[in-house]
Amino acid sequence: MLQNINPFYSSLSLSALILFPLLGGLFVSFITESKIRTIRIVGLCTSFITFLYSLFFWLEFDNSTPKFQFVETIQWLPYSNINFVLGLDGISLFFVILTTFLVPICLLVGWSSIQKSKKEYIIAFLVLESLMIAVFCMLDLLLFYVFFESVLIPMFIIIGVWGSRQRKIQAAYQFFLYTLFGSLFMLLAILLIFFQTGTTDLQILLTTEFSERRQILLWIAFFASFAVKVPMVPVHIWLPEAHVEAPTAGSVILAGILLKLGTYGFLRFSIPMFPEATLYFTPFIYTLSVIAIIYTSLTTIRQIDLKKIIAYSSVAHMNFVTIGMFSLNMQGIEGSILLMLSHGLVSSALFLCVGALYDRHKTRLVRYYGGLAQTMPIFSVIFLFFTLANMSLPGTSSFIGEFLILVGAFQRNTLIATLAALGMILGAAYSLWLYNRVVFGNFQPNFINKFSDLNRREVFIFLPFILGVIWMGVYPEVFLESMHTSVSNLIQHGKFY
Amino acid sequence: LLRGSPLTTANLCYNNLIIDNFTYFFKVGLLLSTACIILMSLQYFQQEALTAFESIVLMLMSTCSMLLMISAYDLIAMYLAIELQSLSFYVIAASKRNSEFSTEAGLKYFILGAFSSGILLFGCSMIYGFTGVTNLEELAKIFTAPYVLRPLSDSVMLNSADASWSGVFMGILFIAVGFLFKITAVPFHMWAPDVYEGSPTYVTAFFSIAPKIAIFANMLRVFIYSFYDPTWQQLFVFCSIASMVLGAFAALSQNKVKRLLAYSSIGHVGYLLIGFSCGTIEGIQSLLIGLFIYVLMTINIFAIVLALRKNRFKYISDLGALAKTNPILAITISITMFSYAGIPPLAGFCSKFYLFFAALGCGAYLLAFIGILTSVISCFYYIRFVKIMYFDTPKTWILYKPMDREKSILLGITLLGITFFFLNPSPLFLVTHQMALSLCI
Repeated sequence: MLQNINPFYSSLSLSALILFPLLGGLFVSFITESKIRTIRIVGLCTSFITFLYSLFFWLEFDNSTPKFQFVETIQWLPYSNINFVLGLDGISLFFVILTTFLVPICLLVGWSSIQKSKKEYIIAFLVLESLMIAVFCMLDLLLFYVFFESVLIPMFIIIGVWGSRQRKIQAAYQFFLYTLFGSLFMLLAILLIFFQTGTTDLQILLTTEFSERRQILLWIAFFASFAVKVPMVPVHIWLPEAHVEAPTAGSVILAGILLKLGTYGFLRFSIPMFPEATLYFTPFIYTLSVIAIIYTSLTTIRQIDLKKIIAYSSVAHMNFVTIGMFSLNMQGIEGSILLMLSHGLVSSALFLCVGALYDRHKTRLVRYYGGLAQTMPIFSVIFLFFTLANMSLPGTSSFIGEFLILVGAFQRNTLIATLAALGMILGAAYSLWLYNRVVFGNFQPNFINKFSDLNRREVFIFLPFILGVIWMGVYPEVFLESMHTSVSNLIQHGKFY
Repeated sequence: LLRGSPLTTANLCYNNLIIDNFTYFFKVGLLLSTACIILMSLQYFQQEALTAFESIVLMLMSTCSMLLMISAYDLIAMYLAIELQSLSFYVIAASKRNSEFSTEAGLKYFILGAFSSGILLFGCSMIYGFTGVTNLEELAKIFTAPYVLRPLSDSVMLNSADASWSGVFMGILFIAVGFLFKITAVPFHMWAPDVYEGSPTYVTAFFSIAPKIAIFANMLRVFIYSFYDPTWQQLFVFCSIASMVLGAFAALSQNKVKRLLAYSSIGHVGYLLIGFSCGTIEGIQSLLIGLFIYVLMTINIFAIVLALRKNRFKYISDLGALAKTNPILAITISITMFSYAGIPPLAGFCSKFYLFFAALGCGAYLLAFIGILTSVISCFYYIRFVKIMYFDTPKTWILYKPMDREKSILLGITLLGITFFFLNPSPLFLVTHQMALSLCI
């Protein structure tokens, strides 16, 4: 937004952004657990400073060029031409900001609800933060894969250690093994690319043209990995399990960032590098996505666990995103990125709401809740706001995203757009029904007797989300203008018009 | 010297031994790992009050023979070195005198080891019988020479000497079988779990690390330098696939630690054989990188097993709730296990990535494919360690005694290596490339 006088030199360093949370985590690990308050404050300050630093990247971002900005190259294996290449462009800028935005929230959420291994909680989240920022900045294929996979380790430990029930172990295993299995095919594809072209640098690979047969093979391998992360329908089972068993902050990160890794991978790697294969497989993705939207929306209506409902609605939203992305036009792709950002905010906030309920009553079954509007009014208002945002009410960010996606999809295939809009209706159905059962209606005094509304910390946690959703919903141009050149470059590059 | 200043190449002892870059770095690796193992076992000797000096002497003698093995340039020298190494091993495997488990292990190892050495010798003698030379360099010249039409008319041998010639092929097959026994590849791995479990732990550590280094060095020299031919490649491909599959599946049901480590090392040998069976320079380089990282990880895990010895660490579930009582050790085990499983960004991932890269590079797509499948399967039991430590609560509390200083230093160094290898892998890659080049050229 501000003018950058010298376009080639920037005083902001992406490697500093990645290293800072790690250093914070390292520093925290040396403080003894008895001074837990100090540890929490240090961790919170670290993540907050990282957030502010990432905002500077937004300020210094140049909207007029599709080139990668803030590019840094650090040598890794000069012998094989694989190096750490860090850079941002319009597509990845906002994911980095979303990451640094969500992690302080996670640390705040765990302020009083985490009772065991408090120090390790902070360290795990800080390490996870730096790995996630690295994923979004990395412009080298192999190193992207390395960081893409290495977020599994902290997440595995977060789900397993701080999860709520015994089933968490199975959930953690499922999460880990599903994702690992898919991505190993991607590793083979990356190695094949490396063997054919001699480099894994994205900026060079964007200029190579693979033969159509090979593109199809590589695209399938990449798809195997990204489809598990998105998640797309046959391989989506890990998501409800992982979300339900994870602690609140774990769910926030899982829904907010980790789900975006799959679609980001599609956008950054699959579509630009393999344009012909993308066109070849677009009907396939459309079919899977539409099935996923309608199937998961219908399944959601049957669920009894609060978190599972929101987890399934996450699946539906992410498949909306893939519909938009594979429409391969400006509105579709921009809508998909915006829906990803908005989903990052809205789903995370919904998980925070459920987490607030869980902290108080230690149950997530919808049956036990009722009439919360009378006893927890502030919570009801906030929950209503995010439920409406989840439904894509106009005025909230997800409306803009979904609208753009439908516009983009309609240009390609009207049937898909119609079915996806049907998914939106189902989304309204389950969201409103959930809200009705939980907040309106009568008390369930047999189950829950004591109530307490949101305390100040929790209200302050929700405020940034509300601001973000409203800002993106009312004036999205601020976000969209940074994406325009990169997205149109993507479309031109693949000759998708 | 690691910076690549030229090293003299020398043939010694009437062409029986060779020194060049390849042997130099291998020897350095072997000596370092042996030093680490002996360092680890010092506390063991103290605890068991083993005042007898034979164990150390035998270990050092086998190290000496392994050094000879790495430099061996002649089939006879190679066999002599292998025999000396195996003989020392048979004795120290049975050295725990008050345990019949250990005696059984030693006996099994002796019988099977002697048998495999016999097969090896038989192979060597067949090679000698059919080619008339035992020196590896001469064999290289015979086997890689094109069909030379010599003016002398009685050169039937030279004209059709390639590895598919039946007699020579039998010889090579026998030699390969003998070698595969020694490195516990499938289907010659049967002795490994029992021997690893029965021997005293420091001997198991020695078994897992040192012979693999030396015998891989010898295998590389014999098969890639002398007998360079795609005929025996199929054998190694089969062994590699079988080892990986067996290593992945058999370890899933293990309860005891040392048996699980034995099966996991069988699996790892499978991965290393991927690099071996594509006979390209990348293949050799990937094998060397994988070997080095395997040594690093194995030193780490055996240091931990040795450290927890006093707490009767026999079953895996003895590790329960280690995260609460000894968090640093728990993190160490977790990282090593994740590295064994091949999870980025740890060192094990780098080795697997390069191995798969080499496999894809020479067209061995099936190997790479099975490699990733077995990686995922083996991930399951590696993560089980993490799960038991972090997520389980044991039935009785286990108090852990602190470990001695040598092991802590070793653990620290190897853990650092595993975790931060990813940041600077270049030196190892360059060194192994140098080694591979000096082997082939």
